[in-house]
Amino acid sequence: MWGSMKMEKEPMKVLVTGVAGMLAQPDSLFGQIGYAIAPMIARGIMLGPNQPMILHLLDIAPATEALNGVKMELPDAAFPLLKEVHATTDITETCKDVNIAIMLGGFPRKEGMERKDMMSKNVPIYKEQASALEEHAASDCKVLVVANPANTNALILKEFAPSIPEKNITCLTRLDHNRALSQIAERIKVYVTDVKNVIIWGNHSSTQYPEANHATVTSINGERPVKELDTDDLWLKNEFINTVQQRGTAIIKARKASSVLSAASAPCDHMLDWVLGTPKGIWLSMGAYFDGSYGIPKDIIYSFPVKCEKGKWSIVKGLKIDEFSRAKMDAIAKDLIDEKEVAHSCLN
Amino acid sequence: MEYLELLLKGLVVLFPIAFCCMLITYKWSFRKIEKEPTKVLVTGAAGMLAQYDILLAFPGQIGYAILPMIARGVMLGPDQPVTLHLFDNIKQADEALNGIKMELIDAAFPLLKGVIATTDIVEACKDVNIAVMLGGFPRKEGMERTDMMSKNVSMYMAQALALGKHAAADCKVLVFAKPSNTNALILKEFAPSISEKNITCLTRLDHNRALSQIAKRLKVHASDVKNIIIWGNHSSTHYPDVNHATFTTKDGERLVREHVADDHWLKTEFIKTVQHRGLAIIKARKASSALSAASAACDHIRDWVFGTPKGTWVSMGVCSDGSYGIEPGLIYSFPVRCENGKWSIVQGLKIDEFSRAKMDATAKELIEEASFAKSCLNEQ
Repeated sequence: MWGSMKMEKEPMKVLVTGVAGMLAQPDSLFGQIGYAIAPMIARGIMLGPNQPMILHLLDIAPATEALNGVKMELPDAAFPLLKEVHATTDITETCKDVNIAIMLGGFPRKEGMERKDMMSKNVPIYKEQASALEEHAASDCKVLVVANPANTNALILKEFAPSIPEKNITCLTRLDHNRALSQIAERIKVYVTDVKNVIIWGNHSSTQYPEANHATVTSINGERPVKELDTDDLWLKNEFINTVQQRGTAIIKARKASSVLSAASAPCDHMLDWVLGTPKGIWLSMGAYFDGSYGIPKDIIYSFPVKCEKGKWSIVKGLKIDEFSRAKMDAIAKDLIDEKEVAHSCLN
Repeated sequence: MEYLELLLKGLVVLFPIAFCCMLITYKWSFRKIEKEPTKVLVTGAAGMLAQYDILLAFPGQIGYAILPMIARGVMLGPDQPVTLHLFDNIKQADEALNGIKMELIDAAFPLLKGVIATTDIVEACKDVNIAVMLGGFPRKEGMERTDMMSKNVSMYMAQALALGKHAAADCKVLVFAKPSNTNALILKEFAPSISEKNITCLTRLDHNRALSQIAKRLKVHASDVKNIIIWGNHSSTHYPDVNHATFTTKDGERLVREHVADDHWLKTEFIKTVQHRGLAIIKARKASSALSAASAACDHIRDWVFGTPKGTWVSMGVCSDGSYGIEPGLIYSFPVRCENGKWSIVQGLKIDEFSRAKMDATAKELIEEASFAKSCLNEQ
């Protein structure tokens, strides 16, 4: 009862990069995610309903007007938890003392673009932002990279911000995780809250491996493995994987625009669970720097199943990996190592 | 002596039992019982997201911003499951609505129990408990006022008939599409089975904007300012009034007017800034205020359903009962308190000459709009 006494907490400083984008441009995906995520953060969806925050919004110079527009609009909503908004194109100023950093800014791969070209645009951005975070962010800053190529952008960040604990640099695969949960829920005709423990292994790209071997469903007879309730192995190994991998494209086809709403919601889920902890028996997918578990090489950012407690994540160990999964997981690891090499060659 | 001993022994035994009972009751109150999902209709949900005409894209943009807010419990509380009914009837609405439905499912919102996405107004309205009407026809450049009004009048007439027939009996309605007061009036006239007290229009956005302008001026946080009033029409004639507004200091509540100490600013620049804030945002963002508009709609419904905090009122466009000399039957924005799912106009506030003139001017505009809408109806 003493705990429910209202005591105003110190505001947490939350950085969001690439928040404004170029809203009038058709391919301004990250500006749109920024616009969608800002009110979600301000409403306590990312940090909990009792945690005040100060938003630090960053974007590049050509987006200054749009950035100012977001800065004007946020106070108009009179959010009780939002204590201040700082909007700037100055990376040093914006990284000052931040506790959370959501990196939306980057260059996604466009049609016809070579991987090396995409990498050469993103590597300098993440190197610069890494240096700024290294020097100015709070020592225990939690970082979430969303901009593609998310895993490799996060790796560059880790390499150039060595004073940020390596466990604090993560990339987003929660969107794919949520999509996988909802595909299973639709298939078995249950609520998505009754499905848990799918895993997204690997890269946040179309090569990710959504796996339901350890997933369970809550039924009137208790927790049952998904594989028992849906005995169609073929669906789980083909259509389910393809659907989750290609969901982004399917959304573009239906909406004539990318997934903004769900892409903004997933980082909130990722951060909330990281900060406040996962419920007992539930794990989630996060791209992070691991310790060689499951035979995955160290030195890459790879998505694994994790539990979270007291502001720290830990990998779920001891899960049985069958042959099919092994092949998929190794293929993605190889792809990520290739990406890493391309990124390093851009640095040189 | 014996009796005293007995009494003492009794107390020693009873006290812990009573304490345990209290603790059990307290913990029991936290047990999670899944509530029935509330059905929430959002019209104009698809909009024309791919349109670069700012005005045309606006309803769709607010829809896209408000849907995750509703699904996260911002509108109805963190324990209230919801079913979303998405409706639109513009060209290619089917595909756009389906895309939004797919995304809502992808977000795996724990409170979202179902999504119905449809271009059929009857299906959309079935048993809905809350209706947020974003769909409408804003006035485009070159459009005659008559065209805009007749399009809106026929749309709201059709939706009123469907809501009246198919929505839940106590459905709460919030109209946001401009001209929102008059669209709400049409809805009220053609859905007589919905209580007129359940038909409202949004002025909470203007109210929140006014709070934040005062907060900025006083260098405090917006949540420390309260009891501003937005009187009248949700148009550029609305009157933001701070005569009764207060703000929290460490020495208690203080009157805003006294501390701003600049009546001229309060009567000119402050009013203009709030009235034209929408345009200022469009100029800065090259797009309308979707985020703050969606948030305001959530605030409006949430306070209506859960009640306003003690001593605090909010602004809502509601059916006038003649209070403050405003013609009964008009949908006019008043200061209201909310309790037990009902609003009531705050009575007895002193109205000075300046305010009187402003309140009457915006009422006059609404009366003209209503009569203009009626003439469009007669031509249909």
